[in-house]
Amino acid sequence: MNEVIAFWILSAVAVLGALVAVRKRNLIHGVFALLVFFAGLSGLFLLLLAEFIAAVQVLVYIGAVGVLLLFAIMLTERVAGDDGRRMTSRGWFWGVVAAAAVLAMLIQQLPPPEAAQEMQEINPSVEELGKKLMNPYVVTLEVLALLLTAALIGAVTAAQSVRMPKEEDSPE
Amino acid sequence: MSLELLIDILIATVPLMLIFATLFAFTTWLERKALARIQNRIGPNKVGIPCTRIGLFGLGQPAADGIKMIFKEDIVPRGADRLFHLLAPILALIPAMLVLCFLPLDFPWVNEDSVKAYLLDGAVIFFFAITGLNTLAVFMAGWASRNKYSLLGGMRAVAQMVSYEIPLVLSAVIVVMMVGSLNANSIADAQAGWNWFVFTPCGFAAFVIFFISALAETNRSPFDLPEAESEIIAGYFTEYSGFKFALFFLGEYIAMFAISGLAVTLFLGGGAGPGVASLPWLSVVWFLVKIFALIAVMIWLRGTLPRLRVDQLMGFAWKFLLPLSVLNIFITGFAWHAQQLENTTITVITWLISLAILYGAASGLNQLNRSNMRPREYKYAE
Repeated sequence: MNEVIAFWILSAVAVLGALVAVRKRNLIHGVFALLVFFAGLSGLFLLLLAEFIAAVQVLVYIGAVGVLLLFAIMLTERVAGDDGRRMTSRGWFWGVVAAAAVLAMLIQQLPPPEAAQEMQEINPSVEELGKKLMNPYVVTLEVLALLLTAALIGAVTAAQSVRMPKEEDSPE
Repeated sequence: MSLELLIDILIATVPLMLIFATLFAFTTWLERKALARIQNRIGPNKVGIPCTRIGLFGLGQPAADGIKMIFKEDIVPRGADRLFHLLAPILALIPAMLVLCFLPLDFPWVNEDSVKAYLLDGAVIFFFAITGLNTLAVFMAGWASRNKYSLLGGMRAVAQMVSYEIPLVLSAVIVVMMVGSLNANSIADAQAGWNWFVFTPCGFAAFVIFFISALAETNRSPFDLPEAESEIIAGYFTEYSGFKFALFFLGEYIAMFAISGLAVTLFLGGGAGPGVASLPWLSVVWFLVKIFALIAVMIWLRGTLPRLRVDQLMGFAWKFLLPLSVLNIFITGFAWHAQQLENTTITVITWLISLAILYGAASGLNQLNRSNMRPREYKYAE
Protein backbone atom coordinates (compact mmCIF):
# COMPACT_ATOMS: atom_id res chain seq x y z
CA MET A 1 0.00 0.00 0.00
CA ASN A 2 2.76 2.42 0.95
CA GLU A 3 4.55 1.62 -2.26
CA VAL A 4 1.45 2.43 -4.28
CA ILE A 5 1.05 5.84 -2.59
CA ALA A 6 4.75 6.57 -3.08
CA PHE A 7 4.50 5.50 -6.70
CA TRP A 8 1.62 7.89 -7.41
CA ILE A 9 3.28 10.82 -5.65
CA LEU A 10 6.59 10.26 -7.47
CA SER A 11 4.86 9.77 -10.82
CA ALA A 12 2.86 12.96 -10.32
CA VAL A 13 6.05 14.86 -9.51
CA ALA A 14 7.80 13.43 -12.57
CA VAL A 15 4.93 14.10 -14.98
CA LEU A 16 4.37 17.63 -13.66
CA GLY A 17 8.08 18.34 -13.92
CA ALA A 18 8.16 17.10 -17.49
CA LEU A 19 5.09 19.15 -18.44
CA VAL A 20 6.49 22.33 -16.92
CA ALA A 21 9.85 21.68 -18.60
CA VAL A 22 8.15 21.52 -21.98
CA ARG A 23 5.74 24.41 -21.47
CA LYS A 24 7.95 26.99 -19.75
CA ARG A 25 9.26 29.79 -21.95
CA ASN A 26 11.94 30.76 -19.46
CA LEU A 27 14.83 28.43 -20.24
CA ILE A 28 16.31 28.35 -16.74
CA HIS A 29 12.93 27.52 -15.25
CA GLY A 30 12.58 24.81 -17.87
CA VAL A 31 15.93 23.28 -16.92
CA PHE A 32 15.05 23.21 -13.24
CA ALA A 33 11.66 21.65 -14.02
CA LEU A 34 13.50 19.00 -16.04
CA LEU A 35 15.67 18.35 -12.98
CA VAL A 36 12.53 17.86 -10.89
CA PHE A 37 11.45 15.28 -13.44
CA PHE A 38 14.83 13.50 -13.11
CA ALA A 39 14.48 13.56 -9.32
CA GLY A 40 11.04 11.97 -9.54
CA LEU A 41 12.43 9.30 -11.86
CA SER A 42 15.26 8.62 -9.42
CA GLY A 43 12.68 8.16 -6.67
CA LEU A 44 10.84 5.63 -8.86
CA PHE A 45 14.07 3.69 -9.35
CA LEU A 46 14.57 3.70 -5.59
CA LEU A 47 11.05 2.32 -5.21
CA LEU A 48 12.08 -0.55 -7.50
CA LEU A 49 15.03 -1.22 -5.13
CA ALA A 50 17.43 -0.27 -7.92
CA GLU A 51 19.35 2.04 -5.63
CA PHE A 52 22.50 2.15 -7.73
CA ILE A 53 20.57 3.31 -10.77
CA ALA A 54 18.76 5.86 -8.58
CA ALA A 55 22.09 7.22 -7.36
CA VAL A 56 23.51 7.32 -10.87
CA GLN A 57 20.35 9.05 -12.06
CA VAL A 58 20.95 11.81 -9.51
CA LEU A 59 24.71 11.89 -10.11
CA VAL A 60 24.65 11.94 -13.90
CA TYR A 61 21.36 13.52 -14.86
CA ILE A 62 20.77 16.06 -12.10
CA GLY A 63 24.42 16.67 -11.29
CA ALA A 64 26.14 16.56 -14.67
CA VAL A 65 23.48 17.01 -17.37
CA GLY A 66 21.69 19.75 -15.43
CA VAL A 67 24.88 21.73 -14.91
CA LEU A 68 25.80 21.17 -18.56
CA LEU A 69 22.46 22.57 -19.70
CA LEU A 70 22.84 25.58 -17.44
CA PHE A 71 26.34 26.19 -18.78
CA ALA A 72 25.10 25.90 -22.34
CA ILE A 73 22.40 28.50 -21.66
CA MET A 74 24.88 30.81 -19.95
CA LEU A 75 27.41 30.55 -22.79
CA THR A 76 24.88 30.99 -25.60
CA GLU A 77 24.60 34.50 -26.92
CA ARG A 78 21.26 36.19 -27.42
CA VAL A 79 19.22 33.98 -25.17
CA ALA A 80 16.63 36.17 -23.56
CA GLY A 81 15.15 34.92 -20.31
CA ASP A 82 11.52 35.80 -20.95
CA ASP A 83 10.53 36.76 -24.45
CA GLY A 84 6.93 37.26 -25.33
CA ARG A 85 6.99 35.18 -28.48
CA ARG A 86 4.84 32.11 -28.57
CA MET A 87 6.52 28.77 -28.64
CA THR A 88 6.05 27.09 -31.96
CA SER A 89 4.79 23.57 -31.53
CA ARG A 90 3.83 22.47 -35.03
CA GLY A 91 4.75 18.83 -34.53
CA TRP A 92 2.37 18.17 -31.65
CA PHE A 93 0.19 15.78 -33.65
CA TRP A 94 3.06 13.52 -34.63
CA GLY A 95 4.42 13.82 -31.11
CA VAL A 96 1.18 12.42 -29.71
CA VAL A 97 1.20 9.63 -32.33
CA ALA A 98 4.78 8.66 -31.47
CA ALA A 99 4.05 8.71 -27.74
CA ALA A 100 0.96 6.53 -28.21
CA ALA A 101 2.94 4.10 -30.36
CA VAL A 102 5.69 3.77 -27.73
CA LEU A 103 3.09 3.30 -24.99
CA ALA A 104 1.25 0.62 -26.99
CA MET A 105 4.50 -1.21 -27.64
CA LEU A 106 5.46 -1.09 -23.96
CA ILE A 107 2.07 -2.42 -22.88
CA GLN A 108 2.34 -5.21 -25.43
CA GLN A 109 5.82 -6.15 -24.21
CA LEU A 110 4.80 -6.07 -20.55
CA PRO A 111 5.51 -9.50 -18.98
CA PRO A 112 2.57 -11.38 -17.44
CA PRO A 113 2.26 -11.32 -13.61
CA GLU A 114 3.63 -14.88 -13.36
CA ALA A 115 6.92 -13.72 -14.87
CA ALA A 116 7.29 -11.08 -12.17
CA GLN A 117 7.65 -13.86 -9.60
CA GLU A 118 10.57 -15.34 -11.49
CA MET A 119 12.21 -11.96 -11.96
CA GLN A 120 12.69 -11.51 -8.22
CA GLU A 121 15.63 -13.89 -8.53
CA ILE A 122 17.67 -11.00 -9.90
CA ASN A 123 19.88 -9.47 -7.25
CA PRO A 124 19.80 -5.69 -7.75
CA SER A 125 22.77 -4.99 -5.46
CA VAL A 126 25.76 -2.92 -6.48
CA GLU A 127 28.07 -5.89 -5.91
CA GLU A 128 26.23 -8.04 -8.43
CA LEU A 129 26.24 -5.20 -10.94
CA GLY A 130 29.99 -4.71 -10.52
CA LYS A 131 30.64 -8.42 -11.06
CA LYS A 132 28.45 -8.42 -14.16
CA LEU A 133 30.23 -5.38 -15.55
CA MET A 134 33.66 -6.86 -14.92
CA ASN A 135 32.95 -10.40 -16.09
CA PRO A 136 30.53 -10.90 -19.01
CA TYR A 137 30.17 -7.27 -20.07
CA VAL A 138 33.75 -6.06 -19.78
CA VAL A 139 34.19 -5.65 -23.54
CA THR A 140 31.02 -3.56 -23.77
CA LEU A 141 32.28 -1.41 -20.95
CA GLU A 142 35.65 -0.88 -22.63
CA VAL A 143 34.03 -0.04 -25.96
CA LEU A 144 31.82 2.51 -24.22
CA ALA A 145 34.83 4.00 -22.47
CA LEU A 146 36.66 4.24 -25.81
CA LEU A 147 33.65 5.89 -27.39
CA LEU A 148 33.44 8.47 -24.62
CA THR A 149 37.17 9.17 -24.84
CA ALA A 150 36.84 9.67 -28.58
CA ALA A 151 33.95 12.06 -28.00
CA LEU A 152 36.01 13.97 -25.44
CA ILE A 153 39.02 14.29 -27.75
CA GLY A 154 36.70 15.27 -30.59
CA ALA A 155 35.15 18.00 -28.44
CA VAL A 156 38.59 19.36 -27.52
CA THR A 157 39.68 19.31 -31.17
CA ALA A 158 36.48 21.00 -32.31
CA ALA A 159 36.83 23.68 -29.66
CA GLN A 160 40.50 24.32 -30.52
CA SER A 161 40.10 24.46 -34.28
CA VAL A 162 37.59 27.27 -33.86
CA ARG A 163 39.94 29.29 -31.75
CA MET A 164 43.21 28.71 -33.65
CA PRO A 165 42.61 30.94 -36.73
CA LYS A 166 41.39 33.73 -34.49
CA GLU A 167 44.66 33.81 -32.60
CA GLU A 168 46.59 33.99 -35.85
CA ASP A 169 44.41 36.78 -37.16
CA SER A 170 44.44 38.94 -34.11
CA PRO A 171 47.94 40.53 -34.43
CA GLU A 172 47.25 41.88 -37.92
CA MET B 1 4.11 2.39 7.31
CA SER B 2 3.43 1.47 10.88
CA LEU B 3 3.48 4.12 13.58
CA GLU B 4 6.31 2.41 15.44
CA LEU B 5 8.55 2.52 12.39
CA LEU B 6 7.74 6.20 11.90
CA ILE B 7 8.69 6.91 15.51
CA ASP B 8 11.89 4.92 15.12
CA ILE B 9 12.81 6.93 12.03
CA LEU B 10 12.08 10.22 13.78
CA ILE B 11 14.16 9.16 16.78
CA ALA B 12 17.01 8.40 14.41
CA THR B 13 16.84 11.57 12.31
CA VAL B 14 15.64 14.46 14.48
CA PRO B 15 18.53 14.31 17.01
CA LEU B 16 20.94 14.13 14.07
CA MET B 17 19.63 17.45 12.73
CA LEU B 18 19.52 19.06 16.17
CA ILE B 19 23.04 17.94 17.07
CA PHE B 20 24.55 19.25 13.86
CA ALA B 21 22.62 22.53 14.04
CA THR B 22 23.94 23.05 17.58
CA LEU B 23 27.44 22.15 16.46
CA PHE B 24 27.04 24.72 13.66
CA ALA B 25 26.36 27.46 16.21
CA PHE B 26 29.36 26.38 18.24
CA THR B 27 31.57 26.18 15.16
CA THR B 28 30.80 29.76 14.08
CA TRP B 29 31.96 30.89 17.52
CA LEU B 30 35.01 28.64 17.35
CA GLU B 31 35.93 29.89 13.90
CA ARG B 32 35.62 33.55 14.83
CA LYS B 33 37.61 32.97 17.99
CA ALA B 34 40.36 31.00 16.22
CA LEU B 35 40.64 33.48 13.34
CA ALA B 36 40.84 36.29 15.88
CA ARG B 37 43.65 34.58 17.75
CA ILE B 38 45.53 33.99 14.47
CA GLN B 39 45.21 37.72 13.74
CA ASN B 40 46.19 38.64 17.32
CA ARG B 41 42.70 39.83 18.29
CA ILE B 42 40.43 38.55 21.05
CA GLY B 43 37.31 37.86 18.98
CA PRO B 44 33.76 37.67 20.35
CA ASN B 45 33.96 38.01 24.14
CA LYS B 46 31.05 40.18 25.31
CA VAL B 47 27.86 38.18 24.80
CA GLY B 48 27.33 35.74 27.63
CA ILE B 49 24.40 35.29 30.00
CA PRO B 50 21.91 38.14 29.48
CA CYS B 51 21.52 40.81 32.21
CA THR B 52 24.73 39.75 33.92
CA ARG B 53 28.34 40.60 33.31
CA ILE B 54 29.33 36.96 32.87
CA GLY B 55 31.03 36.73 29.47
CA LEU B 56 31.64 32.97 29.09
CA PHE B 57 34.28 33.80 26.42
CA GLY B 58 31.54 35.13 24.15
CA LEU B 59 29.74 31.79 23.86
CA GLY B 60 26.40 33.63 23.64
CA GLN B 61 27.45 35.19 20.34
CA PRO B 62 25.85 32.54 18.06
CA ALA B 63 22.50 32.90 19.85
CA ALA B 64 22.64 36.69 19.51
CA ASP B 65 23.54 36.36 15.83
CA GLY B 66 20.68 33.93 15.26
CA ILE B 67 18.13 36.27 16.87
CA LYS B 68 19.50 39.15 14.81
CA MET B 69 19.21 37.12 11.59
CA ILE B 70 15.58 36.15 12.25
CA PHE B 71 14.47 39.74 12.87
CA LYS B 72 16.40 41.28 10.00
CA GLU B 73 14.44 42.59 7.04
CA ASP B 74 14.24 40.20 4.12
CA ILE B 75 15.01 42.17 0.96
CA VAL B 76 14.34 40.77 -2.52
CA PRO B 77 15.72 42.84 -5.42
CA ARG B 78 13.09 44.26 -7.78
CA GLY B 79 14.33 42.40 -10.85
CA ALA B 80 14.85 39.12 -9.03
CA ASP B 81 13.08 35.87 -9.77
CA ARG B 82 11.11 35.74 -6.52
CA LEU B 83 10.39 32.01 -6.54
CA PHE B 84 13.98 30.92 -7.23
CA HIS B 85 15.30 33.56 -4.84
CA LEU B 86 13.26 31.85 -2.13
CA LEU B 87 14.01 28.28 -3.20
CA ALA B 88 17.79 28.61 -3.49
CA PRO B 89 18.68 28.80 0.23
CA ILE B 90 16.28 25.93 0.96
CA LEU B 91 17.83 23.83 -1.80
CA ALA B 92 21.26 24.66 -0.40
CA LEU B 93 20.36 23.31 3.03
CA ILE B 94 18.39 20.15 2.16
CA PRO B 95 21.17 18.12 0.45
CA ALA B 96 23.64 19.02 3.19
CA MET B 97 21.20 17.83 5.87
CA LEU B 98 20.18 14.77 3.86
CA VAL B 99 23.68 13.34 3.47
CA LEU B 100 24.22 13.35 7.24
CA CYS B 101 22.11 10.19 7.42
CA PHE B 102 24.67 8.30 5.32
CA LEU B 103 27.39 8.79 7.94
CA PRO B 104 27.97 5.70 10.12
CA LEU B 105 27.11 7.44 13.39
CA ASP B 106 25.96 4.77 15.85
CA PHE B 107 23.76 6.73 18.22
CA PRO B 108 22.80 4.57 21.21
CA TRP B 109 19.13 5.63 21.06
CA VAL B 110 18.61 4.39 17.49
CA ASN B 111 16.49 1.23 17.23
CA GLU B 112 18.87 -0.67 14.99
CA ASP B 113 16.56 -3.53 14.08
CA SER B 114 14.04 -1.35 12.28
CA VAL B 115 16.14 1.53 10.99
CA LYS B 116 19.27 -0.33 9.94
CA ALA B 117 17.21 -2.12 7.32
CA TYR B 118 16.83 1.20 5.54
CA LEU B 119 20.56 1.79 5.33
CA LEU B 120 21.59 1.90 1.74
CA ASP B 121 24.12 -0.42 0.22
CA GLY B 122 25.57 2.34 -1.92
CA ALA B 123 25.78 5.03 0.75
CA VAL B 124 29.05 6.46 -0.55
CA ILE B 125 27.78 6.94 -4.10
CA PHE B 126 24.53 8.44 -2.76
CA PHE B 127 26.59 10.83 -0.68
CA PHE B 128 28.38 12.16 -3.75
CA ALA B 129 25.21 12.28 -5.82
CA ILE B 130 23.29 14.32 -3.27
CA THR B 131 26.18 16.64 -2.38
CA GLY B 132 26.34 17.51 -6.08
CA LEU B 133 22.90 19.13 -5.79
CA ASN B 134 24.50 21.95 -3.82
CA THR B 135 25.99 23.24 -7.08
CA LEU B 136 22.51 23.82 -8.46
CA ALA B 137 21.43 25.75 -5.36
CA VAL B 138 24.42 28.05 -5.70
CA PHE B 139 23.71 28.62 -9.38
CA MET B 140 20.04 29.22 -8.62
CA ALA B 141 20.92 31.86 -6.03
CA GLY B 142 23.33 33.58 -8.41
CA TRP B 143 20.89 33.58 -11.29
CA ALA B 144 17.75 34.51 -9.36
CA SER B 145 19.32 37.57 -7.75
CA ARG B 146 19.70 39.31 -11.11
CA ASN B 147 22.92 40.91 -10.01
CA LYS B 148 26.08 40.58 -12.07
CA TYR B 149 28.24 39.87 -9.04
CA SER B 150 25.83 37.20 -7.90
CA LEU B 151 25.85 35.58 -11.34
CA LEU B 152 29.66 35.74 -11.54
CA GLY B 153 29.87 34.11 -8.12
CA GLY B 154 27.37 31.46 -9.16
CA MET B 155 29.25 30.64 -12.36
CA ARG B 156 32.54 30.50 -10.49
CA ALA B 157 31.01 28.18 -7.93
CA VAL B 158 29.58 25.83 -10.56
CA ALA B 159 32.88 25.62 -12.47
CA GLN B 160 34.81 25.02 -9.27
CA MET B 161 32.48 22.45 -7.78
CA VAL B 162 32.19 20.47 -11.01
CA SER B 163 35.98 20.39 -11.41
CA TYR B 164 36.81 19.36 -7.86
CA GLU B 165 34.11 16.73 -7.63
CA ILE B 166 36.16 14.46 -9.91
CA PRO B 167 39.32 14.20 -7.75
CA LEU B 168 37.04 13.99 -4.71
CA VAL B 169 35.23 10.93 -6.05
CA LEU B 170 38.38 9.34 -7.50
CA SER B 171 40.17 9.56 -4.16
CA ALA B 172 37.20 7.92 -2.45
CA VAL B 173 37.34 5.13 -5.06
CA ILE B 174 40.60 3.95 -3.48
CA VAL B 175 38.93 3.15 -0.18
CA VAL B 176 36.01 1.51 -1.97
CA MET B 177 38.54 -0.64 -3.85
CA MET B 178 40.36 -1.71 -0.70
CA VAL B 179 37.18 -2.56 1.23
CA GLY B 180 35.19 -3.86 -1.71
CA SER B 181 31.99 -2.18 -0.54
CA LEU B 182 30.11 1.08 -0.98
CA ASN B 183 28.42 0.72 2.38
CA ALA B 184 29.60 3.37 4.86
CA ASN B 185 29.20 1.03 7.82
CA SER B 186 31.30 -1.75 6.35
CA ILE B 187 33.97 0.79 5.33
CA ALA B 188 34.10 2.04 8.92
CA ASP B 189 34.12 -1.52 10.29
CA ALA B 190 37.00 -2.50 8.01
CA GLN B 191 39.17 0.07 9.79
CA ALA B 192 38.46 -1.14 13.34
CA GLY B 193 41.44 -0.97 15.66
CA TRP B 194 44.18 1.11 14.12
CA ASN B 195 43.85 -0.10 10.51
CA TRP B 196 42.89 3.36 9.33
CA PHE B 197 43.31 3.93 5.61
CA VAL B 198 45.19 7.15 6.24
CA PHE B 199 48.03 4.93 7.53
CA THR B 200 48.45 3.17 4.17
CA PRO B 201 50.56 4.85 1.47
CA CYS B 202 47.76 5.24 -1.08
CA GLY B 203 45.21 6.03 1.59
CA PHE B 204 47.38 8.88 2.81
CA ALA B 205 47.76 10.36 -0.68
CA ALA B 206 44.03 9.90 -1.28
CA PHE B 207 43.23 11.57 2.04
CA VAL B 208 45.26 14.65 1.09
CA ILE B 209 43.58 14.83 -2.34
CA PHE B 210 40.18 14.28 -0.74
CA PHE B 211 40.70 16.98 1.86
CA ILE B 212 41.88 19.56 -0.69
CA SER B 213 38.93 18.77 -2.96
CA ALA B 214 36.57 18.89 0.00
CA LEU B 215 37.79 22.40 0.79
CA ALA B 216 37.03 23.44 -2.79
CA GLU B 217 33.70 21.61 -2.78
CA THR B 218 32.48 23.48 0.32
CA ASN B 219 33.86 26.84 -0.96
CA ARG B 220 36.25 27.10 1.94
CA SER B 221 39.33 29.28 1.89
CA PRO B 222 41.75 29.12 0.00
CA PHE B 223 39.12 28.09 -2.60
CA ASP B 224 36.51 30.68 -1.61
CA LEU B 225 36.45 32.36 -5.03
CA PRO B 226 32.64 32.14 -5.39
CA GLU B 227 32.28 34.48 -2.43
CA ALA B 228 35.53 36.42 -2.79
CA GLU B 229 34.67 39.63 -0.99
CA SER B 230 37.56 41.63 -2.49
CA GLU B 231 36.49 40.80 -6.04
CA ILE B 232 32.75 40.18 -6.32
CA ILE B 233 31.27 41.59 -3.08
CA ALA B 234 29.88 38.39 -1.58
CA GLY B 235 29.41 36.27 -4.69
CA TYR B 236 26.21 34.33 -5.08
CA PHE B 237 24.62 35.50 -1.83
CA THR B 238 25.24 39.21 -2.38
CA GLU B 239 21.50 39.88 -2.58
CA TYR B 240 20.52 37.74 0.39
CA SER B 241 19.75 39.11 3.81
CA GLY B 242 18.07 38.05 6.99
CA PHE B 243 17.06 34.46 7.45
CA LYS B 244 17.76 33.39 3.87
CA PHE B 245 21.37 34.42 4.38
CA ALA B 246 21.40 32.47 7.63
CA LEU B 247 20.14 29.39 5.76
CA PHE B 248 23.02 29.66 3.28
CA PHE B 249 25.42 30.00 6.17
CA LEU B 250 23.90 26.98 7.93
CA GLY B 251 23.97 24.93 4.73
CA GLU B 252 27.61 25.72 4.15
CA TYR B 253 28.65 24.64 7.63
CA ILE B 254 26.48 21.50 7.59
CA ALA B 255 28.11 20.62 4.26
CA MET B 256 31.49 21.07 5.95
CA PHE B 257 30.44 18.68 8.72
CA ALA B 258 29.08 16.18 6.22
CA ILE B 259 32.16 16.09 4.03
CA SER B 260 34.46 15.96 7.06
CA GLY B 261 32.30 13.10 8.31
CA LEU B 262 32.80 11.28 5.03
CA ALA B 263 36.56 11.88 5.25
CA VAL B 264 36.50 10.44 8.77
CA THR B 265 34.50 7.43 7.54
CA LEU B 266 36.71 6.76 4.56
CA PHE B 267 40.17 7.47 5.91
CA LEU B 268 40.19 8.11 9.66
CA GLY B 269 38.55 4.92 10.89
CA GLY B 270 34.98 6.18 11.46
CA GLY B 271 34.14 5.84 15.13
CA ALA B 272 37.21 3.74 15.94
CA GLY B 273 39.25 4.85 18.91
CA PRO B 274 40.46 3.82 22.36
CA GLY B 275 37.77 2.50 24.68
CA VAL B 276 35.13 1.83 22.02
CA ALA B 277 35.12 -1.90 22.69
CA SER B 278 33.99 -1.47 26.30
CA LEU B 279 31.80 1.62 25.87
CA PRO B 280 30.02 1.54 22.48
CA TRP B 281 28.64 5.10 22.76
CA LEU B 282 32.22 6.40 22.71
CA SER B 283 32.32 5.75 18.95
CA VAL B 284 29.96 8.71 18.35
CA VAL B 285 32.20 10.89 20.51
CA TRP B 286 35.30 9.81 18.61
CA PHE B 287 33.54 10.42 15.31
CA LEU B 288 32.63 13.97 16.30
CA VAL B 289 36.11 14.60 17.74
CA LYS B 290 37.64 13.57 14.42
CA ILE B 291 35.20 15.80 12.51
CA PHE B 292 36.19 18.71 14.72
CA ALA B 293 39.88 17.98 14.18
CA LEU B 294 39.29 18.35 10.42
CA ILE B 295 37.20 21.51 10.96
CA ALA B 296 40.03 22.95 13.05
CA VAL B 297 42.43 22.38 10.15
CA MET B 298 39.95 24.11 7.82
CA ILE B 299 39.79 27.13 10.14
CA TRP B 300 43.57 27.16 10.45
CA LEU B 301 43.97 27.13 6.67
CA ARG B 302 41.43 29.94 6.33
CA GLY B 303 43.46 32.04 8.73
CA THR B 304 46.77 31.45 6.98
CA LEU B 305 46.43 30.86 3.22
CA PRO B 306 45.76 33.50 0.54
CA ARG B 307 43.03 32.89 -2.05
CA LEU B 308 43.84 31.20 -5.36
CA ARG B 309 43.45 32.86 -8.74
CA VAL B 310 40.80 31.44 -11.10
CA ASP B 311 43.30 29.98 -13.58
CA GLN B 312 45.38 28.49 -10.76
CA LEU B 313 42.22 26.96 -9.31
CA MET B 314 41.24 25.24 -12.55
CA GLY B 315 44.78 24.19 -13.42
CA PHE B 316 45.25 22.68 -9.97
CA ALA B 317 42.14 20.53 -10.29
CA TRP B 318 42.57 19.33 -13.87
CA LYS B 319 46.34 19.21 -14.34
CA PHE B 320 47.46 18.18 -10.87
CA LEU B 321 44.83 16.53 -8.69
CA LEU B 322 43.10 14.56 -11.45
CA PRO B 323 46.22 12.81 -12.89
CA LEU B 324 47.55 12.21 -9.40
CA SER B 325 44.36 10.55 -8.22
CA VAL B 326 44.17 8.37 -11.34
CA LEU B 327 47.77 7.26 -10.78
CA ASN B 328 46.96 6.63 -7.14
CA ILE B 329 44.24 4.18 -8.15
CA PHE B 330 46.81 2.12 -10.11
CA ILE B 331 49.24 2.16 -7.19
CA THR B 332 46.48 1.05 -4.85
CA GLY B 333 45.90 -2.02 -6.96
CA PHE B 334 49.62 -2.84 -6.80
CA ALA B 335 49.91 -2.17 -3.07
CA TRP B 336 46.78 -4.12 -2.24
CA HIS B 337 48.00 -7.24 -4.03
CA ALA B 338 51.45 -6.89 -2.47
CA GLN B 339 50.03 -6.64 1.03
CA GLN B 340 47.91 -9.76 0.61
CA LEU B 341 51.18 -11.68 1.06
CA GLU B 342 51.37 -10.61 4.75
CA ASN B 343 55.12 -10.19 4.84
CA THR B 344 56.71 -7.29 6.74
CA THR B 345 59.58 -6.70 4.30
CA ILE B 346 57.20 -6.70 1.37
CA THR B 347 54.93 -4.24 3.18
CA VAL B 348 57.85 -1.89 3.84
CA ILE B 349 59.03 -2.17 0.24
CA THR B 350 55.47 -1.47 -0.98
CA TRP B 351 55.34 1.61 1.20
CA LEU B 352 58.64 2.90 -0.18
CA ILE B 353 57.78 2.18 -3.82
CA SER B 354 54.31 3.72 -3.50
CA LEU B 355 55.62 6.82 -1.80
CA ALA B 356 58.44 7.17 -4.34
CA ILE B 357 56.00 6.93 -7.29
CA LEU B 358 53.58 9.34 -5.67
CA TYR B 359 56.32 11.81 -4.79
CA GLY B 360 57.75 11.57 -8.31
CA ALA B 361 54.32 12.07 -9.84
CA ALA B 362 53.52 15.02 -7.61
CA SER B 363 56.80 16.82 -8.20
CA GLY B 364 56.75 15.95 -11.91
CA LEU B 365 53.24 17.31 -12.36
CA ASN B 366 54.26 20.36 -10.40
CA GLN B 367 57.24 21.00 -12.69
CA LEU B 368 55.15 20.37 -15.78
CA ASN B 369 52.54 22.88 -14.73
CA ARG B 370 55.07 25.48 -13.69
CA SER B 371 56.97 25.51 -17.01
CA ASN B 372 53.74 25.88 -18.94
CA MET B 373 52.50 28.71 -16.77
CA ARG B 374 52.71 31.96 -18.66
CA PRO B 375 52.47 35.31 -16.88
CA ARG B 376 48.87 36.33 -16.62
CA GLU B 377 47.48 38.42 -19.44
CA TYR B 378 45.23 41.23 -18.32
CA LYS B 379 42.45 41.95 -20.78
CA TYR B 380 40.71 44.82 -19.08
CA ALA B 381 43.51 46.32 -16.99
CA GLU B 382 47.07 47.45 -17.39
